[in-house]
Amino acid sequence: MTRTDSLIDQLAADVRPVRPLPPPALRALMALAAIALVAGLAIVVLGDVGELSQRYAGRETLLALEMSAMAATGVLAIIAAFSLSIPGRSKRWIAAPLPSFAVWLLLSGFGCYGDLVRRGGIAWKLGESMHCLSFILATSALIAPLLIWRLARAKPIDPLPVALLGGLGIAATSALVLIFFHPFTVTFIDLAVHVVAIGIVVGAFGLMNRRAFAPA
Amino acid sequence: MTASGSDGRGDGWGDLLTAAQRGDAEAYRGFLKAIVPFVRAIARRRCWSEDMVDDVVQDVLLTVHRVRHTFQPGRPVEPWLAAIVVRRSIDAARKRGRIGRREIFNEAAYETFEDPDAKEPVDADASRTLARITEELSRGQKEAIDLVKIREMTLAEASLASGQSIASLKVNIHRAMKKLRLNLVKDPPE
Repeated sequence: MTRTDSLIDQLAADVRPVRPLPPPALRALMALAAIALVAGLAIVVLGDVGELSQRYAGRETLLALEMSAMAATGVLAIIAAFSLSIPGRSKRWIAAPLPSFAVWLLLSGFGCYGDLVRRGGIAWKLGESMHCLSFILATSALIAPLLIWRLARAKPIDPLPVALLGGLGIAATSALVLIFFHPFTVTFIDLAVHVVAIGIVVGAFGLMNRRAFAPA
Repeated sequence: MTASGSDGRGDGWGDLLTAAQRGDAEAYRGFLKAIVPFVRAIARRRCWSEDMVDDVVQDVLLTVHRVRHTFQPGRPVEPWLAAIVVRRSIDAARKRGRIGRREIFNEAAYETFEDPDAKEPVDADASRTLARITEELSRGQKEAIDLVKIREMTLAEASLASGQSIASLKVNIHRAMKKLRLNLVKDPPE
């Protein structure tokens, strides 16, 4: 008997019933619903939607587009992470959130430029931006365990893209929640800080991919 | 084996794997046996030695066992399985690359004397020393060292063979190596 035959016998003897995982899109939607519930509650209890409307008065369309791009980035990144956690799913999922991410950065940059034109040099100052960094990191840290727990159920065989996309999804969601708590319009410095915060979250997910996602 | 599987393959891999997910050991054995040629064919395209292909095939079988819950009944098996084979082939190539960069093979490394007969007493001494320094290891530690370090099984294979979890195997190997090092320093071979 070869080593392969003997391994097959051992595995067959060890087989136990397992429940197949639901489709990745359904699992992603369930995770997104849980994240939306937590984020929604935090916004309703702690955020100030009235103040947000005042801050963006006259620029509502830009705000709506920017928030849509953030939400699309978060949702697509999380769906992509769940899809890629299953062997054999298309690698094209890696690119799914990138167009909306680019649109988000472009729209934010456009908003920052408008702010620079209106307020001049003051828009370059580093004011409350460090609070944004802490906010995005803290919110990401709060949501991350739920997402990691759900993603790890698939024991992804290639955990790195799953981790990076999960990190992007979490960071985009945190940035979206931040809008409701942001005490000022976004400046170039804020945008840079947001990008750094997103980079930290995605990098942290990437670094802990093997430990956190229990790969097979 | 069914005449036609739900995945569209004539050999019904999808049906066998779905039955295996329900705990049917015979269906699972049939599935694992049936996929070996497919796995071997993909592995051969990415591996440079038959030895490496064998390692990849076994690693794929173990991975299939661990992720069989990710197969969705009704979907084709081949893309799911092929992705596992490709991943494991890449992992094997990287592992060999890493080892190749750090280590060289020296055929004479284990030779003590040119004359083979002259080695006998040394081998006997080595066995005695090994017996002495491993005396203090617990049963679990001895088993972990035997399976992983001496028989060169992967952690997953050793886990399956011994019933110890991968985490406890790692802990046992770490503690055993520490103890062995201490014993060698305390009581060096003559």
